[in-house]
Amino acid sequence: MSQNVTYFIAIVLATLVHVGVVGLLLVNWDEQPLSTEQLDKTYYIQAAVVSENPFTAKERREQVKKQREQSRKKAEIAASRERARIKTEQEREQERARRTERKRKAVVEKQHELDRLKALQQQEPTPAVEHIALQMDSTENMDQEGQLAITDDEKARAYVAQIQRDIVQNWSRPPSARNGMQAVLRVFLVPTGEVVDVIVEESSGNESFDRSAILAVNKADRFIVPRESRQFERNFREFTVLFRPEDLRL
Amino acid sequence: MNEPLSILDLILNASLVVQIVMAILILASMVSWIMIFQRGFSLSSVKREAAQFERDFWSGERDLGQIYVDIEERGEAIGIENIFSSGFKEFTRSKQEGSDPDRVMENVQRAMRVALSREEERLETHLPFLATVGSTSPYVGLFGTVWGIMNSFRGLATVNQASLAVVAPGISEALVATAIGLFAAIPAVIAYNRFSAQVEIIVNQFEAFTEEFSSILNRNVHDSPS
Repeated sequence: MSQNVTYFIAIVLATLVHVGVVGLLLVNWDEQPLSTEQLDKTYYIQAAVVSENPFTAKERREQVKKQREQSRKKAEIAASRERARIKTEQEREQERARRTERKRKAVVEKQHELDRLKALQQQEPTPAVEHIALQMDSTENMDQEGQLAITDDEKARAYVAQIQRDIVQNWSRPPSARNGMQAVLRVFLVPTGEVVDVIVEESSGNESFDRSAILAVNKADRFIVPRESRQFERNFREFTVLFRPEDLRL
Repeated sequence: MNEPLSILDLILNASLVVQIVMAILILASMVSWIMIFQRGFSLSSVKREAAQFERDFWSGERDLGQIYVDIEERGEAIGIENIFSSGFKEFTRSKQEGSDPDRVMENVQRAMRVALSREEERLETHLPFLATVGSTSPYVGLFGTVWGIMNSFRGLATVNQASLAVVAPGISEALVATAIGLFAAIPAVIAYNRFSAQVEIIVNQFEAFTEEFSSILNRNVHDSPS
């Protein structure tokens, strides 16, 4: 009789133990999303595939040009400072005058350019453009492509995600990579998805970083692209990829 | 993809074999915990009763016949009381038959030895089960895991673009089986070791009591020629 009672108590206690363990497990498991989020952050790059319309292409090219010009200017300034140390005050004055003159010119040019663009826009409205953006969070990029409309082309997006994954997998960053760096590559594909050409459209300034990015695309070698040729032509014939490490400690 | 894998999802989405393995392991864990508690209760009660009986026995307040009658009246005798009562019963019976003292002692000792081995058996019930769970459930869990990983790798073979994300859920799923196996095994092993040590202590105590009791009876038989 007492034997039965002890068995009963034992069953109850054993059930309690198991329920407790399972409950504990479930409660602790809820905190998991945090860690998976962290895992997601370890993706090394954000690759954006952008189909271009004439406007943005032109704008982008101009921006690149401008940036180059700026960097050249900076270099020149540095050089002039060097010289200025040796040369006279007067020469420095002259140099400054020249610089301000150039700046003014640049501003005027920019203004002019903007006006021209606006005029163009007014002439013909922007055509409906497909845009597949992966960088929803990147406001900077949104500014660059502000004119592009975002569509919910889920299919294309899936392809883009796959391409992005492939590139991420093949990308091994050089030790000199830093968090702020970013490089933009232009990738040319043939309809089978094979990469035929990769060019650096916007250098990060670090040669090995650029090279690693190119290598990543070349290693991926072949991307999965939509079989439908219209879609391929529109989005995947050529696209740009933005490489930007975000998880580095440095 | 960002969705966290809950443990319930892992278990429910596992393949059938892995699920069966998990079910077996959970059952084993459940039963072994029941036995752990049951053994714990019964061993501690045996120990408590033995201590009480020995205190009673050596206090000398009551004579042996009285103690025997008390035990018989209470019904089934467990543990040390059983050894005492079977020894004493044999002693009175042999003595009534009028056998010679050495024969009486022989019979008494045999009866007590039988009672002792029976008690030992009773103390050790369920312990083999705990030992089995402790030693096999990790293997059973491992089997489930290997099976699950096997499947997830087989799935990987058909995928063009192999990535960690393809196999990771399968492996995680499979590892749950090992986790459950270990969860069942660890308490079982600990409990087995603990209980077998306890059983040994109790049996030693019983043996010592048997010797002491038979020496008392021996003195009794040889001193009073009847």
